[in-house]
Amino acid sequence: MNELLESLTRCVERGKVDIKSPYPPDLKGQDGADEFARKALDAGIPPQEILSNGLIIGMQRVGERFRNKEIFVPDVLMAAKAMAAAMAHLKPFFQSDALKHKGTIVIGTVLGDLHDIGKKLVSMVIEGAGWEVVDLGTDVSPEKFLKAVDEHPGCVVGLSALLTTTMVNMESTVKHVKAKHPNVKVIIGGAPVTEEFALKIGADGYSSDPQGAVEFLNSRCTTN
Amino acid sequence: MPESSSPDVVTFSPSVDTLGVDRDLVVADLGYRNGETPDMVRELVDELLPQLPSHVEIRCGFRILPSGSIDVAADSVTANGISFSMGPIIASQLKRSTSLALFVSTVGPQMERWSAQLMAEGDMMKGFLVDALASEVVERASVWLEQRVVDHVTPRGWKITNRYSPGYCDWAVSEQQKLFSLLPHQFCGITLTASSLMVPIKSLSGIIGLGPDVKRGAFQCSICELKDCYRRRDDPEPAKEKA
Repeated sequence: MNELLESLTRCVERGKVDIKSPYPPDLKGQDGADEFARKALDAGIPPQEILSNGLIIGMQRVGERFRNKEIFVPDVLMAAKAMAAAMAHLKPFFQSDALKHKGTIVIGTVLGDLHDIGKKLVSMVIEGAGWEVVDLGTDVSPEKFLKAVDEHPGCVVGLSALLTTTMVNMESTVKHVKAKHPNVKVIIGGAPVTEEFALKIGADGYSSDPQGAVEFLNSRCTTN
Repeated sequence: MPESSSPDVVTFSPSVDTLGVDRDLVVADLGYRNGETPDMVRELVDELLPQLPSHVEIRCGFRILPSGSIDVAADSVTANGISFSMGPIIASQLKRSTSLALFVSTVGPQMERWSAQLMAEGDMMKGFLVDALASEVVERASVWLEQRVVDHVTPRGWKITNRYSPGYCDWAVSEQQKLFSLLPHQFCGITLTASSLMVPIKSLSGIIGLGPDVKRGAFQCSICELKDCYRRRDDPEPAKEKA
């Protein structure tokens, strides 16, 4: 692999944002994701290659290490920040079609539930895997999910809930979406949710961790 | 000192400085053990801790039910004519109780606003850590409140069990509605949504068994079978990290 891309992967994995960032201490004073992304573009590496063979690999390692409890939420947040610093350089290429997302996921915490952080964390890891994320926030009604699906043809829907009392609202959202868009895939997650529950309510996928959501999206929902 | 009281309804507004919230407890809840916490996380927690007093509005309190007003069955407890279906794990811990303390504690609404504001400004890390601190403060406030319950019932010759909350150990969150029906309206400023979510979000509620023959059992999580619970703690008082 190209040395610049390897450096980018390492920066995302370690959460090294830019040269000014003192974190992690052993990389203090060294270039971060920000600088390496710029250098990679200047070196003529295609944006898609920078994303696919540099950034996404780094974020995938982060997702796997988080799943294995080798790292924790703050580490994922730093990785996402490093990823975002690099993505700022790549953003213009999405408009020119030189760079494409793998697809779009419309994500939100279901009606009645105000918990936001877990859903945000999943969103970051999914975004780091090359997907466009449309975050509808918390306490999202089935109607609001449906409107977003109408606005993003071909999207996947992600539902989050933290309480047993609100996860029941996942069922009505799935029914609402599937009634109008039977081919739209729905993945669900959250502390009380299980695979059995996902099957029961007609969802297409379930994951207990962010990387599992990425694996579902990449294996079952990619169009590009 | 209690702020207001009828004989058996007592509320408090303790200062956060009295609760013993410290960095080690917060980072342990994040998952870090054995001194592996990144310096940046430790430094940020240390930066945020002194700011807590200007963002928390801790309120907590309890109601002691009349002696002999409860009936404990194998998987439920009936109190003042209301049956709590809390399952056999919790019910078995309450079996010698002659009364219950119904309690709540909250950090108030400002912490979640502070967290949300930091995140909206793009500082996910600080926003997340503020959220984690809020969870720790409400937990510590509940521990502090337990001791106030002890102080209150000791003159009667009563002891206390562990505290148990809807949403834990198979006790359905929806039973919050029953619990709050036995407390004064908007007790300590907490309201319930239709989905039984407490507002402010960083609040805790629950029950404590009381009586001359009850005892504190093993640490709460050790009796629960929900191994994947997101609030599960393997160790109630993790070892301190080196500074």
